[in-house]
Amino acid sequence: MSGRVWWRHSLIRLAAAAGLLGAGCVAWAAAPVSAGGPVAPLLTALSAACVAGGIGQLAADRVPPPGPGSYRGMPGRLAGWALLRLRQLPWAEGTTLGALALELLHPARPWHTAVLGAALTGYLLATHLAESGTARGAATAVLRGQAAVLVAGLGLLVLAAGSAALPSAGTGAAGAWLRVAAAVAAVLAGGLALPV
Amino acid sequence: MPDPGPGGPAASGSPGEPGPDAGAPAANKPLSWNLTRHARRLLTLALAGLGIAVVTGRPEFAGAAAPAVLLLATWHRRRPAQVGLAAGLTASRMIEGERSAVALSVSGAGAHEVQVVLHPAHAIAALPGRPAPPGQAAVSVPFMVTRWGRRRVGSARVILRDRWRLAEGSTELGLPRVDCYPRPATQRTRVVLSRLPTRLGEHTARAPGEGAEFGGVREYVPGDRQRSINWPATTRRGRLQVNTFQAERSQDVVILVDTAWESQDATGSVVDTALRGAAAAAQAYLNARDRVGFITYRYRARWLVPGLGQRQYYRIAEAMLAQDRDWTSDTGFSRLPRVALPPGALILVFTPLMDQRLVETLRDLRQRGFAVLVIDVLAGEPPAGRGRYARLAQRMWRMEQQAIRFSLRELGIPVAHWDGEQSLDLSLAPYTRRVMVTRR
Repeated sequence: MSGRVWWRHSLIRLAAAAGLLGAGCVAWAAAPVSAGGPVAPLLTALSAACVAGGIGQLAADRVPPPGPGSYRGMPGRLAGWALLRLRQLPWAEGTTLGALALELLHPARPWHTAVLGAALTGYLLATHLAESGTARGAATAVLRGQAAVLVAGLGLLVLAAGSAALPSAGTGAAGAWLRVAAAVAAVLAGGLALPV
Repeated sequence: MPDPGPGGPAASGSPGEPGPDAGAPAANKPLSWNLTRHARRLLTLALAGLGIAVVTGRPEFAGAAAPAVLLLATWHRRRPAQVGLAAGLTASRMIEGERSAVALSVSGAGAHEVQVVLHPAHAIAALPGRPAPPGQAAVSVPFMVTRWGRRRVGSARVILRDRWRLAEGSTELGLPRVDCYPRPATQRTRVVLSRLPTRLGEHTARAPGEGAEFGGVREYVPGDRQRSINWPATTRRGRLQVNTFQAERSQDVVILVDTAWESQDATGSVVDTALRGAAAAAQAYLNARDRVGFITYRYRARWLVPGLGQRQYYRIAEAMLAQDRDWTSDTGFSRLPRVALPPGALILVFTPLMDQRLVETLRDLRQRGFAVLVIDVLAGEPPAGRGRYARLAQRMWRMEQQAIRFSLRELGIPVAHWDGEQSLDLSLAPYTRRVMVTRR
């Protein structure tokens, strides 16, 4: 297998994608830091730590747990405890909540929030694919299977952002059409929301 | 089977000593269903986005939650409450370091993906496996046994996941038992005694006989076979000369393993080393069609009377496993039983030479006229402590060890040292190059 093909199907690629998306979400939500108030730097640092923890969790999942019966010294037990915590703590949830909180600290900016929502969805999907250890090509299959739902979700996201931006867009014909489209999208979403 | 003596034979198949489990019948196991990590993350995004939207009146946050909400909407409500599981092993008897696999058959999982996570017991190492594709009923989980013994493989956690990995149901299943025999060391050469019993075998004896080894030439006497006439010698001497050959005999070998003392260090365990050496010796002598007996010594003796063939090797291997869990403190052992020691047998003793009682037993055996060869398997020595007294104690320990070895040599019992790493042939080379003379 050539290096390029290996990289394409490698789980490291998915883990790197998840980490970059997470870091991007936090940076996108935090910018500009000055507008977020005094809590923003602390929240940014915490969210960044959660992104790092998430990458660590993906790596820790690949480490086989030690078998019973053998006595490990203090460094070994500390490493085991740290690995256990790394596996158990909800790092991706922390990143999600941190990014949303950072976005909330800023004044309303609908399209900015919509991009953040799409990026957060991508981050969660990438994390899921990386931790599932999906075989070669299975990641694409998973995404293809959920494509309809994802497209509908992104459509709703755009419509929600659009409706949030409506007051500034005025109350003309465009606004009316957007409301109609939102209603149609809501109906479609309701249909899709039924268990399949 | 031999008549059980006072110590009891270490033979396989003794009561209450079942063999390894090949497999178990299918059993229905209830599943406990939970959200996956992926579902929990999506739920966090959905609830946080919708909550912020409602509280702050900013609809764009509801939009950010929309993809997560729709992905969660694919939640499948029809899930099996239980699954049928049957676990077996691809190989239930193996040698240290060999691989086997748990073959798990899952029924009633529907279209759910099945993953099996092995929770290995002591000395079992799980090897990476692949989850079964959805709908496939059989899952194989490879593992390796790292140390000899009779033990359970551990338990398996069977996880069922729906198509989008939003919910996972899991259950635990106990796995069968496995018998792992010690990995034999390398031994190709054999120690052969000068006096061999009159039984056909593969060792060249000193006595003339019908073997393949050329012995010499002598004058023809009536009754000699015509085909053994040596025509060149006859021509030279002018009288009929015949070739003589040496007899080929087998010998009785008794392998005694001292498991009374255990010592673990960086190089490993002395009991493991002794058993691996004993397994190698048993294999080497059985391959030469010798009768091989086996005695384990742990303050009392458990024995197998000498036997022939591959079946005897597995009897010996089973006996090695049996001694693993049978600790007794009967100190009344002074003479090994006669039934376990055929007259004129070669006795190979694998021991760390730590127990004075075993040394007395060896002295007794030597006095009974047996040819005894001790293979010392003690690789290290106790760690040196700090201080004068610790150094003094270590010196005394060394001197005691030297005294034991010296007293054995004085009795005519050769001691060969084997570290467990190199081939046994190297350690036994001084005794395998020529026959070992048995003196009374």
